[in-house]
Amino acid sequence: MIHQRLESFLNKRRCTLLGLGPMSVNCVDAAIELANEHEIPLLMVASRRQIDSEDFGGGYVNNWTTSEFARYVIDHDKKGKILLERDHGGPWQNTKEIDAGLSLRRAMESAKASYRADIDAGFQIIHIDPSVDIHGTPDVDDVLERIFELYEYCWSHAQKLQREIIFEIGTEEQSGSTNTQEELDYTLRTVKRFCSKNNFPQPTFVVVQCGTRTKETRNVGSFDAPVRVADELPPEIQLPRMIEICNKYSIFMKEHNADYLSDAALQWHPRLGIHAANIAPEFGVAETRALVSILESHGQKKSAEEFLKASYDSRKWEKWMVENTKATDRDRAIISGHYVFSKPKVVEQLAAAKQNLKAKGIDLDLQLKEAVKKSILRYLVNFRLARVA
Amino acid sequence: MNKRVATIILNRNLPEATDRLYDHLIKHDGDFTDVYVVESGSDPDRLSKHVTWRADWPEAVAHGLRFNRGMNYGLSQLWKEGKFKNYDAFFLLTNDSELQDSSTLKPLLDILDKHRRVGILSPCGKRWGERFLLKHQTTKYFWFIHNNALLLRREFVEAVLNADQPDHMGFLFDGANFRGYGAESEMIAKAYANDWAAAITSDVYVGENESYLLNQADLIKTEGYEENLRLYIEEGQRWMRNKYGFNSRWSMQQYVKSFYERFFDFYPEYKNYQV
Repeated sequence: MIHQRLESFLNKRRCTLLGLGPMSVNCVDAAIELANEHEIPLLMVASRRQIDSEDFGGGYVNNWTTSEFARYVIDHDKKGKILLERDHGGPWQNTKEIDAGLSLRRAMESAKASYRADIDAGFQIIHIDPSVDIHGTPDVDDVLERIFELYEYCWSHAQKLQREIIFEIGTEEQSGSTNTQEELDYTLRTVKRFCSKNNFPQPTFVVVQCGTRTKETRNVGSFDAPVRVADELPPEIQLPRMIEICNKYSIFMKEHNADYLSDAALQWHPRLGIHAANIAPEFGVAETRALVSILESHGQKKSAEEFLKASYDSRKWEKWMVENTKATDRDRAIISGHYVFSKPKVVEQLAAAKQNLKAKGIDLDLQLKEAVKKSILRYLVNFRLARVA
Repeated sequence: MNKRVATIILNRNLPEATDRLYDHLIKHDGDFTDVYVVESGSDPDRLSKHVTWRADWPEAVAHGLRFNRGMNYGLSQLWKEGKFKNYDAFFLLTNDSELQDSSTLKPLLDILDKHRRVGILSPCGKRWGERFLLKHQTTKYFWFIHNNALLLRREFVEAVLNADQPDHMGFLFDGANFRGYGAESEMIAKAYANDWAAAITSDVYVGENESYLLNQADLIKTEGYEENLRLYIEEGQRWMRNKYGFNSRWSMQQYVKSFYERFFDFYPEYKNYQV
């Protein structure tokens, strides 16, 4: 039913579905409110670093475990518009599995445990991405074999609980199985055969590299670049062909890393037939910018400085930087702000600032939520999910 | 022996690079081509030894001709001098083109002879993503080609040239689009609309040495790389909007692709070469 519901919605609206990362409590609240206000399905795509089960120590978003996060969303989502999705589940997708140097079998067991917690908690979309391997580079057939094992596991577990789940496969990373037309065709053909043989549902989504890549606070991929990007097929050629292949197998094409694309590029998503797109860090950065701005403009400069320092010191910005970046320390701190929202020291510092702002009649969380809503709304409008008068 | 190709090299103030390219062509492809050099408003002391035509009017000296106007100028000169019909094809090159150390034109002409409906043929670039699509079948037909080295079949050019305006502004390319962003797409749409295909081949590689623009912009008397890129896009987008009412390059792509798809409806025998 979930698949049919999405298909029917896509056919009626001619839109692109939005998958958004739950970057913070305010971001989750903003998404729930918008989905309910506009009565549209929104995919809340949680990576294992953001949200994971208790066994893995939860995630950096509000220190939520999978079940706590799911409960929060399900309780607040009055009209049931949010679809909870595990984003990039699979072996070595949690830093603990990498740090422990788990073997393949152990990492697969660990991934299954994480998926089990997802399904138990009520996640409805399971993204299976076994493209990461700390011991080598798996080829397409290795990746497929791992997909099948995890697919079967998740489906059987959901059946036992009488829960409905749908699947997403593929990855935007180079090491994946859906990067070239041949790879995508082969992957979808093989997966279809596997599903038919075992009487499993076909995957609903497949992740395809569309020429999007998020770095710092911009999209540096070829999608929005009007000139050639070395070693990349121009999206003018790549996209229509990949979409045709997806349509041939009746699987929705999902784009990852669509953050910071221009309005013009986003408006073309529904026209090009891109079925869904994931955005995450942009919403975290929107909140961080709003937070720093409010603090600085209302006499809370010290709090702003402390927050920026905590964020900078986390060094979580490192993976987002381009080579030879000219970003300042402040820019870097803005990029990684959402990673430290829930650090006890930051929570404590911000609690004091919140009190001070409250005394001035400013509801900090409300303003932050509004800032994130504005950022999400840009996608809803451009993707034809929401109409703004 | 009649040479089948007229090669036009566009130069602006880089005589050494142009002469190297000229010598390279004569060495490896001298049997197939006559080589013409268009001086795109170059300084008098920065002309190629092999200059054929010199655009020396004030605007050309101040801003250069760039690809569209420069190639229009060269092609229209051939037209006016009655040499146009002597050739089967025209090979358009900018002075920063880097050719392989063997014949470039022989394999390109072989492809043109084999693919009778190919009007535009582009060599592949060493770092183009398109090369991944050209591993097994080395020539395919595309709806999007972005290159500064193109081989144009004469019959195709004849189908779309503007004989009423044989000058640097409107003979083949639209000179109003000065830096040329989107110009290839317009050309490819015109090709497919007139039953000619546009192909890329990995049998031949041609590179573009951007270091000339990065390091010698002052010498060339042009904007630096970043500024040139900004203007290239800004002007091209304005041109696209004013001429076609397209506010995005994606609109242009859809437009070209619609002609591309139709081509294969009428020439199903070439479906094998579809991307």
